[in-house]
Amino acid sequence: MRVVLALTVARAWRRTLALALALMVFELLVGLSYASVDQNQIRQVVESLPPALRALASGADVASPSGYLGTGFAHPVALTLAAALAVSVAAIPARDVEHGVAEVLLARPLAPVRWMGAQALAMAILLAAVVAGGLAGGLVAVWTVDDLASVSPGGLVLVALTAWLVALTIGAATLAGAAVSRTGGRAIGIGAGFAVVAYALNYLAQVWTVMDPLGRISVYRYFRPAEVLREAALPWGDTLVLGAVAVALTAAALALTARRELAP
Amino acid sequence: MPSAIHASGLTKVFPSGVVGLDGVDLVVEPGERVGFLGPNGAGKTTFMRLALGLLRPTAGSVSLLGHPVPAERMAALAGVGFLPGDLGLVRELTGRRTLDDLARLHPRPPALRDALLTALDLPDAALRRRVREYSRGMRQKLGLVQALQHDPPLIMLDEPTAGLDPVMQARLLEWLEGRARAGRTVFFSSHVLAEVDELCDRVAMVRGGRLLLVRSVQEIRRARVRSVQVTFARPTDPAAYRVEGVGDQVAVSGVTHRFTAAGDPGPLLAALGRLEVRDVAVEPARLEDVFRALYLTPGGDAS
Repeated sequence: MRVVLALTVARAWRRTLALALALMVFELLVGLSYASVDQNQIRQVVESLPPALRALASGADVASPSGYLGTGFAHPVALTLAAALAVSVAAIPARDVEHGVAEVLLARPLAPVRWMGAQALAMAILLAAVVAGGLAGGLVAVWTVDDLASVSPGGLVLVALTAWLVALTIGAATLAGAAVSRTGGRAIGIGAGFAVVAYALNYLAQVWTVMDPLGRISVYRYFRPAEVLREAALPWGDTLVLGAVAVALTAAALALTARRELAP
Repeated sequence: MPSAIHASGLTKVFPSGVVGLDGVDLVVEPGERVGFLGPNGAGKTTFMRLALGLLRPTAGSVSLLGHPVPAERMAALAGVGFLPGDLGLVRELTGRRTLDDLARLHPRPPALRDALLTALDLPDAALRRRVREYSRGMRQKLGLVQALQHDPPLIMLDEPTAGLDPVMQARLLEWLEGRARAGRTVFFSSHVLAEVDELCDRVAMVRGGRLLLVRSVQEIRRARVRSVQVTFARPTDPAAYRVEGVGDQVAVSGVTHRFTAAGDPGPLLAALGRLEVRDVAVEPARLEDVFRALYLTPGGDAS
């Protein structure tokens, strides 16, 4: 299992490093930009926006330090960076089946479930690295921008934890897709589709009350970084939902792998 | 001692409805060298994948080294070295890392690696390069090393000489012959009849997912019709050497007779020995002829 884990990490560390740096720079820029804006002006601007645009902030008070910095973690750019790694790494098993790499590995006494389990573990480790990049950017911003001094570094760590869980659910959905796909492209399609639909449902639920019940099935509904920063406490309900979804999808991926055919 | 490979009624129908393998019964005993012949799409690769548990059979069963697959798949694979026909390697890794990682996934130590690297002319400098920089032949060599480095009791190779130059092909066959002499079982698929002819004790031929025949190479050669040309010292009646197997059609041109002879050549040679013969030319029976005869005949069944 360690060999497969190391193999996956070796194949994906470059893109992980690039995405971690990108997320770090993004969160740092978000933090640094807070010093150059007037809080009242932001509040007025946000209040004057139509609901469709206000929904991008997920109802957070973006004028406050915690709301502003938290919105940076829920920003589509930040979500896309983490989801990109989750999807691309979780699609590796399907790509390996497609290109015959899995055939070489699994013609050895390696149980397919352990092979997939190692991929899931590698994905979790690599996602942690990317989220850590975002956390580092946020922490540097908090320590260097006086207006953000009220933001608790501990709260940022909790935001990073929930961001990691959200990314894990995307990765686990992709992994489940990879377990039933014969091509990497299809697995990527399933993972990206899951992320886009989840984001769209959460967004539409905020701007259209009819969609509210459907918003509850979106994993992004349970990712509220501004609230976590404001309270500096882990939202146990949201955390449990995200953790349960990630575990359930990973378990599904393992169960499907045990039943699938592993040759191209 | 359990059979190296024991397939019984092995059948695979793909979800598309294509029959990959249709009721194949095949037993390969320990220490045998068996060539698995067939045209593209005949079912050779499907058979190997079913045997290794990479595909699930629609019907039938298979065991490797006495371990039923998939029930005891891990135990079965612990004794197998496998080279896929369409070799997939992680392109970002170096050759050395590839061999090391794959070796760690096998319970047997890679005791033969250095000897194989030498035999297949894969120097250390090449192993330091990334797989994506390898030529097809080098990838194939790396694939062979990963399959054979553990000195597995059962060697399963899907078209092992593909991409190798003739010198390397010869070295590989020599290596496999050496392992067979050491008691290892060699089972490999090929379209190249000459290498099967050279290495194998037995041949299994498949077409359209069906096993057409399983025979020893000797038996096939003996059963094969040969062209014979005999030049006698004086005009001779064909009845003088007509034994079982000699064809009815004898072309006589002066003292030279041309005819066909099937089966064991012993009685014919004995009959000719009683006559005054100046020259005899017997075209050697070639596996290729059997192969062609089978595959060019619709539904040809020579078993």
